[in-house]
Amino acid sequence: MKIFGRKSGVNALGRHGARPMSRDKADTLLLLFSCSFALLPHAGHLPIWILPTCAALLLWRGWLTFRGDRMPPRWLLLPIALLAMAGVFITFRTFFGRDAGVSMLTLLLALKLLEMHAKRDLFVALFLSYFLILAGFFYSQSIGTALLTIVAVIAILTTQLSFQYTGAVPPLKQRIRLGATILALAIPVTLVLFLLFPRIQGPLWGLPSDALAGRSGMSDTMTPGNISQLALSDAIAFRVKFNDRVPDKAQLYWRGIVLGEYDGRTWRQLRTRTGASRAPVIGVRGAKTQYQVTLEPHHQRWLYALDVPSALPTLEKNIASFNFELQIMTAEPINDRIRYDAVSHLDYDLHANESPDALRRWLELPPGFNPATLEFSARLRAQAGNGIDIVNASLRVFREQNFRYTLEPPRLGRHTVDDFLFSTRAGFCEHYSSAFVVMMRAAGIPARVVTGYQGGEINPADGFMAVRQSDAHAWAEVWLPNRGWTRVDPTAAVAPNRIEQSLSNVIPRALLGGLITLDGTENRWIAQLARLRQHWEAVNNGWNQWVLNYTPERQKKFLEWFGFEDVDWSTMALLMLALASIAVAAVVVPLLLQQKKRDPLVAVYDSLCNRMARMGFPRLPHEGPRAYCDRLTATESPISPETKTALARFLKLYETVRYGSADDISAGALSQLKSLLAECR
Amino acid sequence: MSSKLSLYSWFEHSVRKRLSKWLYRLKGPEPGEAFLNQRRVFIVPSHPGLLFCVMLVALFIASINYNLSLGFALTFLIGGCALIDMHLTFRNLAHLHLAAGRTAPVFAGELAQFELILINRRKYDRFALWLDFVADDRPDLAQAIDVAADTRRSVVLSTPAHERGWLQAPRVRLQTRFPLGLLRAWSYWMPDAKALVYPQPEEDAPPLPYAGAEKSDGQGMAGHDDFAGVRAYQAGDSMKTLAWRQIARLDAESGAPLISKHFEGGAATEIAIDFSLLPAGMDTESKLSRMTRWVLEAEARGLAYAFRLGDTVIPAGLGPAHQDACLQALALYRKT
Repeated sequence: MKIFGRKSGVNALGRHGARPMSRDKADTLLLLFSCSFALLPHAGHLPIWILPTCAALLLWRGWLTFRGDRMPPRWLLLPIALLAMAGVFITFRTFFGRDAGVSMLTLLLALKLLEMHAKRDLFVALFLSYFLILAGFFYSQSIGTALLTIVAVIAILTTQLSFQYTGAVPPLKQRIRLGATILALAIPVTLVLFLLFPRIQGPLWGLPSDALAGRSGMSDTMTPGNISQLALSDAIAFRVKFNDRVPDKAQLYWRGIVLGEYDGRTWRQLRTRTGASRAPVIGVRGAKTQYQVTLEPHHQRWLYALDVPSALPTLEKNIASFNFELQIMTAEPINDRIRYDAVSHLDYDLHANESPDALRRWLELPPGFNPATLEFSARLRAQAGNGIDIVNASLRVFREQNFRYTLEPPRLGRHTVDDFLFSTRAGFCEHYSSAFVVMMRAAGIPARVVTGYQGGEINPADGFMAVRQSDAHAWAEVWLPNRGWTRVDPTAAVAPNRIEQSLSNVIPRALLGGLITLDGTENRWIAQLARLRQHWEAVNNGWNQWVLNYTPERQKKFLEWFGFEDVDWSTMALLMLALASIAVAAVVVPLLLQQKKRDPLVAVYDSLCNRMARMGFPRLPHEGPRAYCDRLTATESPISPETKTALARFLKLYETVRYGSADDISAGALSQLKSLLAECR
Repeated sequence: MSSKLSLYSWFEHSVRKRLSKWLYRLKGPEPGEAFLNQRRVFIVPSHPGLLFCVMLVALFIASINYNLSLGFALTFLIGGCALIDMHLTFRNLAHLHLAAGRTAPVFAGELAQFELILINRRKYDRFALWLDFVADDRPDLAQAIDVAADTRRSVVLSTPAHERGWLQAPRVRLQTRFPLGLLRAWSYWMPDAKALVYPQPEEDAPPLPYAGAEKSDGQGMAGHDDFAGVRAYQAGDSMKTLAWRQIARLDAESGAPLISKHFEGGAATEIAIDFSLLPAGMDTESKLSRMTRWVLEAEARGLAYAFRLGDTVIPAGLGPAHQDACLQALALYRKT
């Protein structure tokens, strides 16, 4: 393990001695640089005035350093600090909560840099930077963020060690290398700790209400326009790993919530439930489908499962329950990425025997809306015999009357369903499902809107099915006697390929406002790009599965994989200690073995003496090299003449190197001695 | 009460001394090259290091509370960096070879300067090693030094010399916080170095004692007999010995120096610095102090002087060797 280059170490300092800037200035500018590294990632999400303020403070500090001026006095800094705090309070109306806290932290760091007097303040500034980096993880924990963090940590380490030099300071490049080396050496320890440190499931206390705000996903209401918004988002809603067979695309209805209350424009969940206290009645047939869902946080209190879930998933720190509409509700909002095992049956009866009283809620329509639709439905009912006929007749309307499926539907007036059905005839799944449910209810068939996702795309790179926000969908359920609640997807009647393929294939992909159309089937490069994207998403999914979602559960599974069944935290701590000891031993043992280094000159002299002793001429304790030489090379000694010359030269040279002045010693003396030693035999 | 307290403090002092002696493996002076093996190097967190630990705990708790996986990773990463720093700090000091260098004699009241040699036989550079004497009340005398790979560097540490005689170099403390400053590694070493401390020269000492000062000039003892030539004037030369003829010949404008006649053979100008001739009322140290001053003054004037102190009798002479012999005798008088 060699950290400092032998060549470019202290010896090389002389060459870099003439630094253009004094050391203090250079170090302080380096500090400012690393702190801005910690500040910059916050540019995206803090209030608009925070970053410019920090930048101004940093520039001020930089200017003072550059000029070599004194730091601003306390009476000047205090009002600035108070002003900044007031600004935070005015912006957020509180000092608590995530964003207000992070804003305070950034300002605190910038102000601290203007109030540095002792070396201790340097450490405070650097440690604040670490907190700021951590705060950045509230907003993003992507691979890119991780890489940026590594660079920031190297910058901080470099700054920290730059302040430690007392003599000449090596060039910046070398210091950065030392910082990077420290980090690189720390990575094995980090891995061991990350994998084995006993994990505790948070939170330890209540999170501020804004801790996880501002992410998009399915909402708990449906208004024309809010699903089509999602349709343009490629973000992953959840990933699914099927245990065995993957169902057909047409069966991949990921059921979310059931909306039954309609005010003429917006669909909501029923506020008062008739059968709220009752458990759902469900009859299942056929094989069950088992799969594992990794759900991205969507900050709502429900889970998604294939239509219909037949067993409740168990969650680590949340409680899941079915409600009467067979939604899987959770006690707490899903604010973290969670993983759960789910079981579904694709063939089922839901509430097959329901009393008309309980069904009445699913027939209500707001009075005074959509008169044309009501009239149309009454006619349908009069013509058709039973419920199934009415459903089919309605779907035929969609199929045969030139309805269009579009992401940009024309605006609708007060009577949204009337306008949609009889004039615009263009809409998105939310329009179709909404119109269909209104028609059904008007015809006297209990009906409701179900929102969720439809479809999903298997990533060949890792076998996970990705369900994206663009797969968001809304469909309908109608109650038919003896069959119970039956899924009907009116959108499928209009755009069947919407269901069989995915939305992205139905809607032409356009870039730059339609200037470039991406058609994956024709362009080889686009196909290549798509494959690249799949690989990138597989990497990202691996990152999510193994790094971001490394929960106590996953840790347990990981250990089981190594053959540690049923580990509790004490075993884990022991295991971690054992591994840590191995890591420490790997460093310390070579140190222990590498005992006191002998002077090579003494070593070579000793080996000569030992050799002579073996030949029967040990050096006497009182003899110096010269006396020894005289005795060995004396005429009466039985040593061969060649050896004698070598001995004489060796001992003469040794004497010179050992006791002579520095000028007499040639550079290669040691190697010369070694070669002479070889001749002495 | 007070005796109890002092007993307690004595007890504490002695226990602490024994404890630190056992803990830090304090040894006496080590002749030759000392080697800082790993058992002699100690390491603890520095003040910023303790602050760092508090920060790690805070980062860890924040990571748990907000379920930040990358937060855990960051916490463990910088914790790991601190571990690596521990190793590097230790390595920066351990396995260093130490030797005592030369030490020049000093006068009591001055700073004794000890040259210490640090030998780095490893393949890596060592930076920011701080050296100071342990029982030193002047921390500003600490010295920082870098030792590149396979080189030796010397550093001079000072300690006040209060008393004449041999001054053993105090215990040296070697410290380092390099590279990150989160930990402090230190080690103790007692170099086998002694400084010879001469007595403090007396201020305003009386003039040099000419041997036989009581006798008149004309009695043939003063070395005025045989004219041996002229030489440059030295302070203290008598007006009578000025070589006026030679002075007059020299160009006065070129800042003509005074020239004295130089006589040989006589003993009249011979100075005898003799302990036994000093007034009986003076204490020994004052006498030694005065003799020291006289030795220095005689050397400065280039006047040969004889020296007698107890059993040490040094015939008249001049020059560094002579001066050193005399001063050494003064320094070590009745010191074992």
